[in-house]
Amino acid sequence: MVLKNMIMVLVLLLGINSAHAENINSARQVVDKFQTELIDVMKNGKQLGYAGRYEKLFNAVSNSHDLTKIIRIVVGKEWEKLSETQQQKLIDTFSKFSVSSYAHNFKDYDGETFVFDSEEETTRGGVVIHTHLNIPDEKAVKFDYMLKEIGNNWRIINIIANGVSDLALKRSEYTNILQREGFDALIAKINEKIDNYSKL
Amino acid sequence: MKRSRSNVRTKQTLSYMLAGVLILGSYSTSAVSSSKVDPCEHINRKLFVFNTHLDNYVAAPISNAYKWITPQFVQTGVFNFYNNLKNINVIVNDVLQAKLKQSAQDTGRLVINSTLGLVGLVDVARDVGLEQNDEDFDQTLAVWGVPKGPYIVLPVLGPLTVRGIPGAIFDTAANPSSYVGAPVQLLSMLNTRANAEGALKFIDEAALDPYVFTRESFLQWRHSLATDGQSQMTSDFDDELLDDSETLSISPASKNNRSDLTLSLSEYIKKFEQASQSFSTTANAFDQIAKSYENVSEKLDKLKN
Repeated sequence: MVLKNMIMVLVLLLGINSAHAENINSARQVVDKFQTELIDVMKNGKQLGYAGRYEKLFNAVSNSHDLTKIIRIVVGKEWEKLSETQQQKLIDTFSKFSVSSYAHNFKDYDGETFVFDSEEETTRGGVVIHTHLNIPDEKAVKFDYMLKEIGNNWRIINIIANGVSDLALKRSEYTNILQREGFDALIAKINEKIDNYSKL
Repeated sequence: MKRSRSNVRTKQTLSYMLAGVLILGSYSTSAVSSSKVDPCEHINRKLFVFNTHLDNYVAAPISNAYKWITPQFVQTGVFNFYNNLKNINVIVNDVLQAKLKQSAQDTGRLVINSTLGLVGLVDVARDVGLEQNDEDFDQTLAVWGVPKGPYIVLPVLGPLTVRGIPGAIFDTAANPSSYVGAPVQLLSMLNTRANAEGALKFIDEAALDPYVFTRESFLQWRHSLATDGQSQMTSDFDDELLDDSETLSISPASKNNRSDLTLSLSEYIKKFEQASQSFSTTANAFDQIAKSYENVSEKLDKLKN
């Protein structure tokens, strides 16, 4: 009886471990898929043009990033001070800005490759996928993706490039502007950047 | 090389950590207090504006002219030459940080590039797998436990922390190019500015508030270098999210009830408090740093004995 119980416990533990391993894999898969799509867009960047890159990357970013959570963290306590309409407007504008930033910065291909390095679990149940971008004739750039499980899906909530956290950087900027100049100024500044990205 | 340079530079600046942040400082607007990190924000912002103008009207045109008249292979050679000289400084700081294996690699890099690489004009070491390491005296002080102190923007020199001042003096002293004539130093500055072009462009395109963007990316980048990229990978902002539901302490209605006189008076008091806090934070930081130097000096004395 004792032996039977021990076997059952072992089976359960194995089950938990394998389920956990699947989750870790799926977090990595989300990053892998996003990076593959990004490289693909870069390879066809010139033919696609800004509008084409934006269109292709909109789905890629939406399916891999939790943009709503990101912008909530970015504005911090200021979020509760916004009306529902303002919150929705901020989510929409920020989403456009995120995609347009990718579409502008990843516009052509010179042999770059993303390489997976390792993955680790955070204390709060998140996963960090460590990767780097190899650039011919240049020093590689480290990209660490922090993911959270939202429902049954893993979603990127932060990207740390060579030690610089995108979330922390935006958080300082956005809260500063919100407190100092207000919501409309923040939206105007983001829209101005989106507009510039589409023209450059 | 030439084909990919501008695009690659743009992508590299995604790391936000580039030399560009060393060139600039920021734009105007009165400060929302950035607490202990940037107690002198109002002064720093003015200096950032000054540095931005200086860059736009002086450094950028000269740098652009240099890039226009100089062939790409010469620019690459100049970059490699100064980068190779920097290795002396890197090796010294490797040793001071007890990174002996890395110091051996960096010494190999210096020897190879200074000989086979034609006095450093060609980066042969990279081709044999010896990547450039980034070490300086500011990082050494961080390893020794000296706190970084407040963020400051210096005219011409750009962003720094208080700890970075002795760091910069030591690094300048340890770099051979500091002891040669003005033309070599001018070329060194031109080379630095020319290589920061991509980063400056990225900041200009991406930053909603270039001052804050520069400050945050500079501080994070320096912290990452000082900890060799091992810093707080797991910080995930959840605590902040939990605080989101906190109610406001002052409602808009209560704000409207205040008289103009009270508002302006409280504004003055607030500014005065901010200014006095700034000075006391800066003074405390200097005290802490002085204590750390004393500790380091005591440790060195013990080692001698």
